[in-house]
Order: sequence, then structure tokens, then C-alpha cells
Amino acid sequence: MTGSTGASDAFATYVLPEIEVLLRVARSITRDPVEAEDLVQDTLLRAFRAIDGFDGRHPRAWLLTILRNTNINRHRKRRPELMRDPDTELERLAAEPGADAPDAAVDAGFDHEIEVALAELPEVFRRVVELVDVDGLSYAEAAEVLGVPIGTVMSRLHRARARIREHLVRTGVAPRSTR
Amino acid sequence: MIRRWWRRRPDEPMTCHEVGELLQHFLDDELDAGRGQRIAEHLEDCRRCGLEAETYTRIKRTIAERHHDDLPAESIRRLREFGEHLARGEEPPGR
Repeated sequence: MTGSTGASDAFATYVLPEIEVLLRVARSITRDPVEAEDLVQDTLLRAFRAIDGFDGRHPRAWLLTILRNTNINRHRKRRPELMRDPDTELERLAAEPGADAPDAAVDAGFDHEIEVALAELPEVFRRVVELVDVDGLSYAEAAEVLGVPIGTVMSRLHRARARIREHLVRTGVAPRSTR
Repeated sequence: MIRRWWRRRPDEPMTCHEVGELLQHFLDDELDAGRGQRIAEHLEDCRRCGLEAETYTRIKRTIAERHHDDLPAESIRRLREFGEHLARGEEPPGR
């Protein structure tokens, strides 16, 4: 893709249709509507500058990678906790006394208990659940956004759901697994 | 996990253990049609796996419904305008 007309056409064809997905994902990863909009704006700008080198394959994955890198650059200095190994977080929280206290909201319904279980998940696990279940990304797309291997997405997602399910069983709103 | 399944004959029924290993992929629509169909058939016949799938489907659906917020139309409009300015080679608004 060369020349300004080609670049403009490519941008209109590949990038503009993905704006809503980009905003939805940005809101999931920033948890701030204003920051999310700024992040998408920066992503669009970077995508425009890079469109000449884009081969036209998998535009969503390409844009999600740009969004992720843009987000990292915006927050690298402000968010040192992003450097922690997230996969130890679930074990650490699971080992904490008082987590998932069995007397918590035992008479509440299924929906309420899902909210409780979701809130108790470490942030990185909750993000994977939101990217796949709420934003509708595939495992591969979620891996692009998070900058992790697809196997890590699967592992975090499945462990997160298992943990939610354990919470639902403990609070009596879901049947115990018979496996 | 998936490699092991490839070694099986395509007409061989899946075991509960195999279904358990692939269930999340199935619910997330991450399997090819052939394996998806075999899992669906197993879930119809096996009450235990069917119940497991039902619970996880309900978890997935509830999370999607409760957290899927409508995107603010004003944000979308601003971003589209921004993107369209870029596409036309013009200075985007607000930069």
C-alpha cells in the first residue's frame, strides 16, 4: 500500500470499522471511559502512521496489538504493578485467609454470587474473562491485547471460570461437579 | 490435549474426560465444527457432562449480560470523526 490515497483507503477499509471493538476493549483494560477514548484516539493515530506497512491481513489483531503497545507506553511509568507476574496472583489470593468466606451472602442469588466471585478474582484474570465473555474476543485476539501467549489466555480464563464455579458451589447456587 | 484428540478415529465417541478437557473451548466457539459436533452429541447423552456445560454456559451468559454496557454514542461519534479526518489526510479535531 503506497501513496496517500492508498493509505487513506486502507485506513477507511481496515481501521474505521473496528472503532467500536477498540473502544470496548480499551474500556475493559483501562476501566476509565475518558482514558479509554484517549487510548483509542492514540491507537488510531499510530495505526494511520503505520498503515503503509500493513499487509491487510487480520486487521483486528493488528489494531489490538497497536492498542496494547500504545497502552503500555502510556502507563509504563505510572503503573509499575503491571510488571508483576500475574499468574502467581490467583494462588496468592486463594491462599489468603478469609477469601471467599463461606458465610458471605449465602442466601443471595446466582447473579449476585457471580459478581462477588468476579470481584474476588485478581485483575489480570478478570480482564481475560471480560475480553472473551463481554467483549467477545477470540482467544487469539485476547492474547494480542494482553501481549501473552494464547495458552496463557486459555489457562487464565479456564482457571478463572473454575474459581467462579467453585464459589457458586460453595455458596449453594450451583451444583457440585461430579467429575 | 488437542494433539491427543487428533490421534483418535473421527467416528470414535468422546469420553467424559476428553469432553471435560475441551468443554471451555467448545463453549467459547474455539473448536472446529467436527469436534464441536461430537461434543454436542456427548452433552446430549451424558447428564453429568450436560450439567457441567449448563453451569458454565450460565456463568458465561450471566457475565456477558451484566457487564455488556452500551458504548456512549458521543464517544463513538468523536472517534469516528477523528478517524475520518485522518483518512482524509486532514488535521484531526482536538489534537
